[in-house]
Amino acid sequence: MKRILVLALCVFTLFGLAGCAQSANTPQTASKQDQPLVIATSADLGSIDPAVAMDNAAWKISYPAYDRLVNFKGSSTDVEPSLAKSWDISADGLTWTFHLRDDVKFADGTPLDAAAVKFSFDRLLKIKKGPSDAFPSLENVTAVDKNTVLFKLKTVFPPFLSTLATNGGGIVNPAVMKHEKDADMGQNWLATTTAGSGAYVLAEWVPEQSLKLTVNPNYWGSKPKLNTIIIKIVKDPSAQRMALEKGDVDVAENIPVDQLKELKKNPDLTIFETPSLMVDYVYLNTQKAGLKNPKVRQAISYAVDYQGIIDNVWQGNATQMRGPIPNGLWGYQPDLLQYSRNVEKAKALLQEAGVNNLTLNFMYSDRKPWWEQEAQIIQSNLADIGIKVNLQKIAYAAQREKIDKGDFDLTIGVWSPDYADPYMFMNYWFDSKNFGLAGNRAFYKNDEVDKLVRKAASINNQTERIELYKQAQQLIMQDAPYVFLVQKKYQLPMRKSVQGFVFNPMLEDMYNFQAMSK
Amino acid sequence: MNTSKFVAKRLGQLVLVLLGVTLVTFLVSHVVPGDPARMLIGQRADEQTLAAMRQALGLDKPVWIQYLNYLWGLIHGDLGTSIRTQRPVLNELLSFFPATVELTLFAMGFAVSIGILLGLLSATFRDTLTDHATRILAILGVSTPLFWLGLMALLLFYKYLGWLPGSGRLDPLINPPTHITGLYVVDSLISGDWIALKSSILHLVLPSLCLGYIQLATIARLVRASMIEVLELDYIKTASANGIPRSRIIYRHALRNALIPTVTIIGLTFGELLGGAILTETIFAWPGMGKFVVDSISFLDFPAIMGFTLVVATVYVLINMVVDLLYPLLDPQIKGVH
Amino acid sequence: MELKYYRYFAKQYPLTVVGTLIILIIGLVALVAPLISPHDPLQLHLADRLLPPGHTYLLGTDEMGRDLFSRIIYGARLSLAAGVGIVSIAGIFGTVLGSVSGFLGGKTDLIIMRLMDIMLAFPSLVLALALSAALGPNFRNSILAVAVVKIPVYVRLVRGQTLSVKEKHFVKAAQTFGASKVWIISRHIIPNCLAPVMVQATLGIGEAILIAAALSFIGLGAQPPAAEWGAMVSVGRTYLLDQWWYATFPGIAIFITVVGFNLFGDGVRDLLDPRFRH
Repeated sequence: MKRILVLALCVFTLFGLAGCAQSANTPQTASKQDQPLVIATSADLGSIDPAVAMDNAAWKISYPAYDRLVNFKGSSTDVEPSLAKSWDISADGLTWTFHLRDDVKFADGTPLDAAAVKFSFDRLLKIKKGPSDAFPSLENVTAVDKNTVLFKLKTVFPPFLSTLATNGGGIVNPAVMKHEKDADMGQNWLATTTAGSGAYVLAEWVPEQSLKLTVNPNYWGSKPKLNTIIIKIVKDPSAQRMALEKGDVDVAENIPVDQLKELKKNPDLTIFETPSLMVDYVYLNTQKAGLKNPKVRQAISYAVDYQGIIDNVWQGNATQMRGPIPNGLWGYQPDLLQYSRNVEKAKALLQEAGVNNLTLNFMYSDRKPWWEQEAQIIQSNLADIGIKVNLQKIAYAAQREKIDKGDFDLTIGVWSPDYADPYMFMNYWFDSKNFGLAGNRAFYKNDEVDKLVRKAASINNQTERIELYKQAQQLIMQDAPYVFLVQKKYQLPMRKSVQGFVFNPMLEDMYNFQAMSK
Repeated sequence: MNTSKFVAKRLGQLVLVLLGVTLVTFLVSHVVPGDPARMLIGQRADEQTLAAMRQALGLDKPVWIQYLNYLWGLIHGDLGTSIRTQRPVLNELLSFFPATVELTLFAMGFAVSIGILLGLLSATFRDTLTDHATRILAILGVSTPLFWLGLMALLLFYKYLGWLPGSGRLDPLINPPTHITGLYVVDSLISGDWIALKSSILHLVLPSLCLGYIQLATIARLVRASMIEVLELDYIKTASANGIPRSRIIYRHALRNALIPTVTIIGLTFGELLGGAILTETIFAWPGMGKFVVDSISFLDFPAIMGFTLVVATVYVLINMVVDLLYPLLDPQIKGVH
Repeated sequence: MELKYYRYFAKQYPLTVVGTLIILIIGLVALVAPLISPHDPLQLHLADRLLPPGHTYLLGTDEMGRDLFSRIIYGARLSLAAGVGIVSIAGIFGTVLGSVSGFLGGKTDLIIMRLMDIMLAFPSLVLALALSAALGPNFRNSILAVAVVKIPVYVRLVRGQTLSVKEKHFVKAAQTFGASKVWIISRHIIPNCLAPVMVQATLGIGEAILIAAALSFIGLGAQPPAAEWGAMVSVGRTYLLDQWWYATFPGIAIFITVVGFNLFGDGVRDLLDPRFRH
């Protein structure tokens, strides 16, 4: 009897609760416009604060939620006006004046003016996390009047305009200061929400499950066709594939190249393909005794089976790099020396260097799934010329620390430019001021190269800069501080119904939602 | 010893346990490379920025002060900030906790109900085919690599037959039901969300059956052993001699007594299930604490790993304490024996 | 006479015999791996990657074109080493700690047993995971981590045994004659605890292999290109939908091996513990 009473009580409570709760799903036959665009991605998101976020997964959300003074134009590496209608540069190249549009409002309805621009950059520089790295020469920002803002640089920095189009250059609503805690400039609050003027706002975020973007009602540009974008976090590549094939999702970001082949057979799907500027390369620690001699490094560059890596690891979806600057970015040299597998030559070089019985550690992490395969192929390639390689897999955090301290022989990494300038490659990778994680991960020092790349970074004339970088690249190829493996092709499988996607190599894994439709 | 003293003692032990665990993980995490400060700042930041960040995080202080700081936070319910997601570890764990609980409860329900049934059958029909089959099933159960079983189940029921979904808690396009308990099945029942209910139950089938299967075998073996022991007891024999029907003896007398040791096993099983959830959640992309910790490992996200370990240990100890408290209630004979 | 006995045993305990046979076969495979494997388990054949089972590659190839069959054969070495290594380390440390704890009693006993309680407060996989994440992911550390987790089992066992041996006349006598504690523990206590420890170790090998494989699956155990079963299943998982054989076969290898040890262990328990006897 007692039990029945308890049971009855439970049932009552349940229905009582049911009265208050609302069903999150109702059977619906939504009209076509209301259907959301659904994207499956495997990446976890950290903070989406433009002054904090450093990875493309977070930028996917923040980029369409904020506006910048300038934007990358279509699929090119040039910039076009956005919040800034126009700009002037002083004769010494140190003062930039931007004239803002006067019709822009933040999502909450407050107007976006020069003060907000100043606030955003002051905040970025004060927080001083990753995104501020793109503005090394920025001295200060002044709001001249409501629609005019002035940027003062410490030194000439040729890529400056391009850096303004990066995610870190997003203009943040000064109202975030209302949510400041422990003098964090609203970092905590902005980590999980958006406060910009972009076409979309973040409407909902269920951690590790999904994010929902909805149209910003106060958006100043033309009204986007898609009302809702849903980003689904689907860790398992196989599940992503199933969902894409069934039509549950429209775009699946993380399907391994091996499975793309199968997807090509499906008539409902299309695979968007275009060269990207992301490169994958091996760092040789030039400070280590075994790798000090350029001949040894050349031998390693000759030993690697580039074609084997492209055909197998990449299933043909990559091309071999030709020097540090990827094809598609200005400064690329189509006639630069390119190493190819030549075991005899590699052995001869080792002999000239008087090296035998060399043992090297190859450190990698599981940050990128293909590193393990490449490491194993290179291990086997180097065994062919008599170099014994021990593989050492460690956590990504540890890999970063060891790279920074130079505590490795060989390790592997990827690099993609944040802004469209060969500076991103030549000065980061080779200037001996940038030893370690900063960019010169081979700890490479060549005074001549230092001189050339520094000169190229101090002038605004593009033709002169190309010539300087060309000379530097020729020296570098002889010194072989890195093994220049591959330049990745960008591939994105999607439903055929998805229209209007434009890929910009600066904005990998990000979308031009406002121009897309379904 | 009375109940409150017993609880106090067990809670005291729990505190010791947690202290020990935090100390060990904390010390070790400071030996391994992987500086949290470096993960937060940009890779091109200079040494000054790094030093400032280390100072802000309190990483410039001696290890023992950092440890005391950590404990101080712990007392205030602060498990630190995850290096990977940069959100408070406690919030992260709390948001994944219901998913793990839901999975574990379903697995437990499956393992306990079928396990008891099988154990009962095999004790009742001792040395028959049923008994031998259960015995073999039990051995196969404890010998199956859980992670492999999950993959095989995916291959069969998801890829080839297409009967069941293979990952996550809901179909990608279905919204989670209104948050009440965080258990999707319960929440969707309460809010009358039949779409979410169907989807969440379907998603539970494969992971919970795989997870439960391994424990089912153990439970069946134990029920069998204790049933046999009870059946040998004098009063059962007497009852039997007095002509009370066998089925009645088994269900009225023997089963009740045989279930008492099983309750203890359920407490222990819960721990194994929590451990197993690490593997199951990884395979079925189940957004629970286990998957969270596996994702944290490759980042050397020690605050997250420590937080997870602490939460699991606490839950485990508490459940076993409750089980121990229930014990005398079930069996009048051992009242107050602790 | 002898033969007759074996026949009787095989009839009475068929499963135990099956288990023993499995262990012997796996052991033999591990021993003669270089002789029977058709390919070098580490040799890459990039042109032959992800081939289905067939003539050249009996069980197919992996994503680097390595022969899965050969890798599974070599994998027996690692898994057996892991299983035996774990129970040996745990058994040795557990015996020493347990006998010291039981023999000395008092504060030592209290501290050791409290420590063991701490360790028992965790599901084994969780503690092994935390330890091996902390030690750094490699095969040796994963074995150490699982061994540490398993120590309390042996400590409790040996401590109980010690408490009863301690009261025996010959120990009392040795004490009266002024024998040192070390001498008594090593000469009297430990030898008298060995039998149950060996039994417990035999029973534990199967589980040890499983936990070690699970750690490898998570990425905390053996590292590439090592041919370790759990790690192979882990990589094979990526290719599950199109290359079913990759994750399937190494998993079967783990399963059979562990079944072998568990059948054997079950038989041993049956022989020793009348409660479970049929």
